[in-house]
Amino acid sequence: MPVVDLELVKNLYKTPGAARLPVDVAPRFKAGDAVVARNINPPGHTRLPRYIRDKKGVIENDLGVFHLPDSRAAGTGDQAQHMYTVRFDAREVWGVEAPANDSLRITLWDDYMNPA
Amino acid sequence: MNSIHDMGGMHGLGPLDPSDDEIVFHAAWEGRTMALARAMMAGKHFNLDEYRYAMERIDPARYLQFSYYERWLEGTLNLLMEKGVITQQEFDAQLSKLSKADS
Repeated sequence: MPVVDLELVKNLYKTPGAARLPVDVAPRFKAGDAVVARNINPPGHTRLPRYIRDKKGVIENDLGVFHLPDSRAAGTGDQAQHMYTVRFDAREVWGVEAPANDSLRITLWDDYMNPA
Repeated sequence: MNSIHDMGGMHGLGPLDPSDDEIVFHAAWEGRTMALARAMMAGKHFNLDEYRYAMERIDPARYLQFSYYERWLEGTLNLLMEKGVITQQEFDAQLSKLSKADS
């Protein structure tokens, strides 16, 4: 079986750019909700970086439904979940020496957070 | 995975250097590496999340020494072998053939 054939190349051009899924899934959070990032340390893939674990933030924006990267990388079944822009104060993440008015925004999936 | 890729907040890596004016590919092999990765994903040999995980599993010392597209290439090769698309023997044989053709 050829690894790359003409059909595959044609499909490359048809692949939609956005990974957003057109499915109806109930969100766990809404804009304005206070959340805390979970402290998990999975040996597999996750897009929850270490520096944000256990930090408190606020949901800024619901970006829609996407595959949870963790289970998709492990091949244990696709999980469609809402993904959000979440704002964290710089001082919450980096401590009292961080500028008072700075914040960072990070995209997190439903599974990465608990209500604060 | 708590590996070397997760370097947010880490000190000592030096300043960012944007001086190359955002050149997309520094050499032809980088473009081919990107095309190969995209073709493998379009062909469903692996998905983007498996691909990110493959790069996270690169030996940490080598990860830090690799350039951006060297990580892509290493991740692609490792996955192609893990998925059985190519074997180590096939890769070694082809590499040896190309090395001889070059010299």
